[in-house]
Amino acid sequence: MSISATSHKIGEPVRRREDQRLLTGKGRFSDDVNLPNQVYAAMLRSPHPHARIRAIDSGKALAMPGVIAVFSGSDFIADGMQPIPYNQFTLHPAEMQLPNSDGTPAFTAPCYSIAIDKARYAGEIIAIVIAKTVNLAKDGAEAIEVDYEVLPAVTGTIAAADSKAPRLWDDARSNVCVDADVGAKDATAAAFARAAHVATLTTWIQRVTGVPMEPRAAVGEYDAATQRYTLHAGSGGAVRLKKDLALIFDTPVEKVRVRMDDVGGNFGTRGMIYPEFALVLWAARRVGLPVKWTCDRSEAFLSDFQGRDLAVTAELALDKEGTFLAMRGSNIGNAGGHTGSYTPLQKGVEIMSSLYRMPCANFRARAVVSNTTPTRPYRSSGRPEVMFVMERLIDIAAREFGFDRIELRRRNLLKSSELPYTNPFGMLYDSGDYHAAMDSALKLGDWAGFAGRRADTKVRGKLRGIGAANYVDTATGAPRERAEITVHPDGNVDLVLGIISNGQGHETSFAQLVHEWLGVPLDSVRLITGDTDIVSVGGGTHSGRGMRMGSVVIWNSANEIIAKGKRIAARLMECDPSVIRFADGRFAIENDGQAKSIFEIAAAAEQLKDLPDDLRGPLAAFSDESFNEASFPYGCHVCEVEIDPTLGTLEIIKYSAVDDVGRAVNPMIIHGQVHGGIVQGVGQALMEQCYYDPASGQPLTGSFMDYAMPRADNFPFFDTEISEVPCTTHPLGMRPAGEGGTTPALGVVINAVVDALAEYGVTHIEMPATPERIWRAIHGKSN
Amino acid sequence: MPTVAMTVNGKSVAGNVEGRTLLVQFLREHLQLTGTHVGCDTSQCGCCTIHLNGKGVKSCAVLALACEGADVVTIEGLATGGTADVKLHPMQEAFREHHGLQCGFCTPGMIMSAVDMVKRKGHDLDEKAIRKQLEGNICRCTGYHNIVLAVQAGAAAMKGN
Repeated sequence: MSISATSHKIGEPVRRREDQRLLTGKGRFSDDVNLPNQVYAAMLRSPHPHARIRAIDSGKALAMPGVIAVFSGSDFIADGMQPIPYNQFTLHPAEMQLPNSDGTPAFTAPCYSIAIDKARYAGEIIAIVIAKTVNLAKDGAEAIEVDYEVLPAVTGTIAAADSKAPRLWDDARSNVCVDADVGAKDATAAAFARAAHVATLTTWIQRVTGVPMEPRAAVGEYDAATQRYTLHAGSGGAVRLKKDLALIFDTPVEKVRVRMDDVGGNFGTRGMIYPEFALVLWAARRVGLPVKWTCDRSEAFLSDFQGRDLAVTAELALDKEGTFLAMRGSNIGNAGGHTGSYTPLQKGVEIMSSLYRMPCANFRARAVVSNTTPTRPYRSSGRPEVMFVMERLIDIAAREFGFDRIELRRRNLLKSSELPYTNPFGMLYDSGDYHAAMDSALKLGDWAGFAGRRADTKVRGKLRGIGAANYVDTATGAPRERAEITVHPDGNVDLVLGIISNGQGHETSFAQLVHEWLGVPLDSVRLITGDTDIVSVGGGTHSGRGMRMGSVVIWNSANEIIAKGKRIAARLMECDPSVIRFADGRFAIENDGQAKSIFEIAAAAEQLKDLPDDLRGPLAAFSDESFNEASFPYGCHVCEVEIDPTLGTLEIIKYSAVDDVGRAVNPMIIHGQVHGGIVQGVGQALMEQCYYDPASGQPLTGSFMDYAMPRADNFPFFDTEISEVPCTTHPLGMRPAGEGGTTPALGVVINAVVDALAEYGVTHIEMPATPERIWRAIHGKSN
Repeated sequence: MPTVAMTVNGKSVAGNVEGRTLLVQFLREHLQLTGTHVGCDTSQCGCCTIHLNGKGVKSCAVLALACEGADVVTIEGLATGGTADVKLHPMQEAFREHHGLQCGFCTPGMIMSAVDMVKRKGHDLDEKAIRKQLEGNICRCTGYHNIVLAVQAGAAAMKGN
């Protein structure tokens, strides 16, 4: 980072305020929370992907030293505990709906925090053991005897959709929960009938998992006197978690408090409530002591929500010049063992056509359940999958029908003058300069000089390939957000917000906004987010909503504080409010030496007895808004790889990214988001996969020894560039920046790999493109 | 339960531990030094890296009882000065300056590993060497780009110290 911040204002790469504690070991993560007299929970998890629970005998476990209690699903039901209130579809009004084409509602089944009748995936919780230490609780869990009736299991996405597949719910007609037909069927069929060329792709965007480095942990407390539950657990949002827990416990929301401080990564994986959160609170109530649970990494591989897993067949119709006429196909998303979320399916299919001019399209969109760990939105939910499909289809079409890959993109890429543009699924792209982003990325990646570099590589006996991928990323999320700002006479400013930092540096970037708008020192801003006794409203951190929504409610609140401050200053300095100007934290009379600082005004607000009612008391303001428009961040990435044909090993030589964020608040943080996003996307393209044994249904990736994580030596330095074309649907021109790194990364890497292998007649390679797969592709062996 | 005594961050400490207690558990649970993190259970992630008798080790792979008489330094022992005037170690400062951390969970292990790397490999570390040496530390947030820059700068800055 060669550029230093020259101020703390918007647009400056301000170094992070949270770093001091995180660098010195003073961070406070969930497992760092310990309460007096706490006891420990261990979860007994199903070893079977699919099994009916006949009986649970906890006698031996209860007789063990230190074991306090064992609870199972029947205890949970007997206590009147309710299912987890999952929203299967996104609640944002701008999102495309996915109604079943036969008019029936989407299938959903209650999901309890602990298995009641059946285990539907290996790792589902069967019983919870409470003991004096973690080790004693784990020993106790091993001593529980469960009588299972093992049932046939299905884990594959396409296999699960088969009407003859083992069925997870007896009362469902099949494992298919959603079966929608979206777009214009007849128009699309007509366009395909007159097409000169049709490119096709059948692929599976494989199952991966988010792997936040901090394993989940939770401490539950119950106060019998007030009948109040307090959960200490890291999550993407505190308020939603509180509301969900209140529904599970069938208690008023005031009876639940959620607390968290530092959260060690999220990526969507931590975005929704987990069963263990309800279980530690329930157990705390039952045993009368605080209960702590910390997830092992191997347990996380079984029970953390997983992501992606979309089976796609897609076709792209072109005329003889290469103009896109239509696209069609089928997407099947795998929800895993419960009907928890169909969001990735929904968020993907609605932008299948990406940033390209597509007169019509038609897709069948299905969601299935299977005997696998449940899936949820994972960084850029649904979009990396469909961007992969679109960008692969373009490269396939270019190669098969003799077009230049870049010219084919350029011909069909929407121009600024065509925006706003409604895509064939009804999504309205507001603004941007897609051509400029692509041109910048091609320049950054030196596309023009590639031929020379390839020739040099060939001399060394290796293969070089280059790829490009454009993307658009629909940002929606929970629509409502609230900010509360209070200026204190002692020089501090409290900012209360319903958005949790999971590593995005909110204590810095949100403070930059307050600094710029209220003229207060950066370090005077205290960001308060992780305590529902203080934070009343807020949607949490997901779908690029943090800065997008946070900035607006902070802006509104700051403006109200300034308006109030002017009236108080006028009273103090005995002038008319209209002659007061606010700048750099001071209220000054125009063309006069007199001025008061914002903190003097805050003191006056608290002290003056004769102020009007709305000005008396703390100098504070709040803004509570719902954001009903989607935002569409976009950009283009270019990737260059070198492959050793003898070994199939691959090296990323160069990776260049241009991502448009509308207006950058802290470019240092944004570049960091892009770097991390790229690696998560490249990880999926080249190495990561949650493997399930197709015969037994057993998960085979249970630790970092089996699940390939991207490491430092898999990458070069990245060339990332921020583009700032103001967003027309955001009052401050901002677009989200957290997901763009990941969204095009799958497609651009595989496009580069296939380009490198083209001389061997390779037209496509499935993810993850491991050295073995690459070697097989080169040597003509089946994948 | 047997007793174990060692020096941690310059202070003499002792405690009663089970035979199976790991050094990382002793640090976190007995000494409340929660800056050392547990990110996995197979010694892969490196979040728990500390210095044991001057060498970087993963504290999840050492039994507490095996550290009798040892000299241990954790992330809490790296900076100097008091609470009011903390002076970051050059490697900590480099991570801050180069935005080498996001969520901060892998950070203590990364920094302890990086300081150890400089001790073993010297101050003039090139990009490839740093990337290779970071093999035992996993980060999910930063894409490693800024970590590598930070280690390079921190290594150079340590020369003056």
